Amino acid sequence: MTFDTTTIVYMLEIIVGGLLVGIGVHFVPVGGAPAAMAQATGIGTGTVQLAAGSGLTGLLSAGLMMYAMTLNPNFATEGYSLWPILLTGACGAMIMMDSTMLTGSWIYAYAVGAPFASAKVNYDPITGFSQPPYVAPGTVGQGIPTVCFVSGTIGAAMGGLGGALIYFPLVLINGNPALSAIFAIGIFMVDAVLASWNIQGTIEGFHDPKFKKWPKAFKSCLVATVILALVAVLITPLGGV
Amino acid sequence: MTVGGGAAGAPQAIDPKKLRIYGLAGSVIGIYLAWILNTATGTNIFSFVGALAALFGVVMGANAVRRVCAYGIGTGVPSIGMLSLGMGVVGALFGLNFAEQLGLGILGVIIALVYSLVFGYVVGTIANKVMGFNIPIMEEGLTDLSGAGTMAILGWAFAISGSLSYADIVSTVIDTGFLAIIFICGGLAILHPFNANLGPDEKQDRTLVNGVMVGGMSTIATGICALMTLGLAAGMVQIVVGFAVWYYFFVWYFRLAKRDASKVVGTGLLPPSAL
Repeated sequence: MTFDTTTIVYMLEIIVGGLLVGIGVHFVPVGGAPAAMAQATGIGTGTVQLAAGSGLTGLLSAGLMMYAMTLNPNFATEGYSLWPILLTGACGAMIMMDSTMLTGSWIYAYAVGAPFASAKVNYDPITGFSQPPYVAPGTVGQGIPTVCFVSGTIGAAMGGLGGALIYFPLVLINGNPALSAIFAIGIFMVDAVLASWNIQGTIEGFHDPKFKKWPKAFKSCLVATVILALVAVLITPLGGV
Repeated sequence: MTVGGGAAGAPQAIDPKKLRIYGLAGSVIGIYLAWILNTATGTNIFSFVGALAALFGVVMGANAVRRVCAYGIGTGVPSIGMLSLGMGVVGALFGLNFAEQLGLGILGVIIALVYSLVFGYVVGTIANKVMGFNIPIMEEGLTDLSGAGTMAILGWAFAISGSLSYADIVSTVIDTGFLAIIFICGGLAILHPFNANLGPDEKQDRTLVNGVMVGGMSTIATGICALMTLGLAAGMVQIVVGFAVWYYFFVWYFRLAKRDASKVVGTGLLPPSAL
């Protein structure tokens, strides 16, 4: 392989993608097991599942966009263009996360019968609604209030953008979409788990006091992704392509 | 809670260092043994030995999971299993590809293992130093987990492809998407044992036996994949071996579960005077 400017650009894209994933996790309202019992604010599952879900849908939609570009009759001369791929990835992840939060909200509202309230703030920063009167005693909020929904959408957009930003250079490096996808999942998992360890499992979104811990995740993901990006660019298209 | 005789009969816990040596040596030797048998006989019938080699890695990984997660990591046990396989998939693909570029061919397994151990150590150091986990065995545990994930992926990938060459693994395991099955089944074998057995009466032998049991089920899954890639004979052998491993360890696990279970004594309802 040759190590030139293009390689460095690919590496930077992968590193920025990994950092976006790591920071994006901090925006997603992860409630964990308590939220599944409507005893905490957020989506009732773990960070890794949500991050993997939004990342994989981001990868899928980015891959779909890349395939759609190859159908362009002028593809041979024009090649791929980066921005539509990244935006498609972000939209795919946002759709996944929003549909998860929306259907989850229906269950919290109509099946569990819990009012949506955050225990971390007194007033919802977006709607300005008062929160404490609606927090059931002994719980730390229920459901997915507006601010968490907005925060989750931002987080999913960052995750999907990051996933697409990892996937796109990998396809250009090794020319094998299947290999790139599984490799991108590997990078994604490492960054998502490091970030979820940083938030200790649960977070409500950008209004949560835990959100201020993001520089730690930034540093950790930076070190981890640099090592991963180094080996990612070393993989060359050999056989099976 | 063990009531009556449970703890007394429990065998001595196996030292993690010993398990690490068994896990690494067993999986590396197993994969190469499978490769030698396949090459020497000119068939792919011995691919199932690769799946058995993966089980050694799984035992090492399950032990690392129970050691690290006993401290409490706040995100649930599945996250660490997915991290293990995430590191493993990167290490395995890099090792195989890099060895092929250098013209070393079959040494890919060693390169993948060395890379993943180093990367696991770095991630462990980050977790302790930057995140402030302060888990004394974090570096050790993540080094083990990274190696275990890599060996699990390589072992089961060999079981599906029947070859250690990068081109074969790409065309039979990656392009077909079977790597996703290995990813999740291997992850289950590493993370599920502690997730299922955790609690105050968690015992090392019960957890590890559970790991091998799930590994046997994963081998059945890769055997079904091998039906497509290696043909009927090699696939069926793998399914039968996977079933045998699962059955043997399931019976063993059931015995251990009965050993550790507490007796429930029916005391009847509260007397009316107490209500």
